[in-house]
Amino acid sequence: MEFLAEHQLYIVMIIVVGIWLGLYVYLFRLDGRIRKLEKESRHES
Amino acid sequence: MILKGALGVLLTLVIIAAFALPITPQPQSWLEFPLIPGLEEKARIIFFHVPTAWLSVMAFVTSMVFGIRYLRKRDMMDDIRSSSAAGLGLLFCILATATGAIWAKFNWGSFWNWDPRETSIFVLLLIYGAYFSLRSAIEVEEKRATLSSVYSIIAAVTVPFFVFIMPRIMTGLHPGAKGDPDGAGPVIEFKMSPNMRVVFFASLIAFTLLFVWMFTLRVRAARLESHLQAKG
Repeated sequence: MEFLAEHQLYIVMIIVVGIWLGLYVYLFRLDGRIRKLEKESRHES
Repeated sequence: MILKGALGVLLTLVIIAAFALPITPQPQSWLEFPLIPGLEEKARIIFFHVPTAWLSVMAFVTSMVFGIRYLRKRDMMDDIRSSSAAGLGLLFCILATATGAIWAKFNWGSFWNWDPRETSIFVLLLIYGAYFSLRSAIEVEEKRATLSSVYSIIAAVTVPFFVFIMPRIMTGLHPGAKGDPDGAGPVIEFKMSPNMRVVFFASLIAFTLLFVWMFTLRVRAARLESHLQAKG
C-alpha cells in the first residue's frame, strides 16, 4: 500500500485496467449471447 | 476467437505500458520514456486519445463504404452496417473530444480553446449528430436507407478535410499544425521516441481490433432484430 501511496499513477493504471477488463468481459458475454440467439433463430427458420 | 484473445492481451499490455513505464529526463533503458518539456506525465494521453480519434475516422469511412454498397445493391444489411459504423464513429468522436477536453484543462488552461482541431471535431460531431436526426425523421425503411447512405457519403467526404487538412493549414495548439511539418507542436517540442512509437502503434492496432469486434456485434444484433421484426 505504501508503494501505491507514493506512486499514485499506478492507482490510475489499476482503475483503467479494471474498466478495460470489465468492458472486455461484457463484450465477450454479449458475443456469446448473440451467437446463441443466432443459432436459435437459424433453428426456427 | 484468436483475435479476441489477442485483443484482450494486447490492450491490457498497452494500458500497463502506457501508465507503468516511467518518464525520465534522460532515459537509461528501453523501458523508460523521455521527458517532453511542457507535457511531462500528461504525454501519456497520446496512447489513448489519438487512437479514439483514428477510430472515428475509420468508422466514418466504413459507413461511407457500406452507404455506397447500399446504393448499388439495395441490400438492407448494408444500411445496417453503414449506420452501425456511423454510430460507433460518433461514440469514438465523443470519446476523443472528452479525453482531449479534460487533458486541455490541465495543459492549456481551459476545457475548450477553439483550436482548429477542436473546432473541426466539433463540426464533425454536428455533422454525424445530424445523420442520426435524419435517420430518426424518416419512417419508410427504403427511403431512410437511401437518404442516409447519400448523407453518409457526403459527410465522409468532409472528414479528410476536417481531420487531416484544416488543422494542418492553420496555426493551432495541436502537434502538426501550420509551421510544424515534423509534428512538433508550436507550444511544445513533441516527437515520439521509438519505444513510445511501439506502444502507440500497438494501441492503434488494439483499438482497431476493438472497433472491428464492436462493429460486428452491432451488425449481428441489428440483423437479429430485423429478423424478429420480419417474423412479427
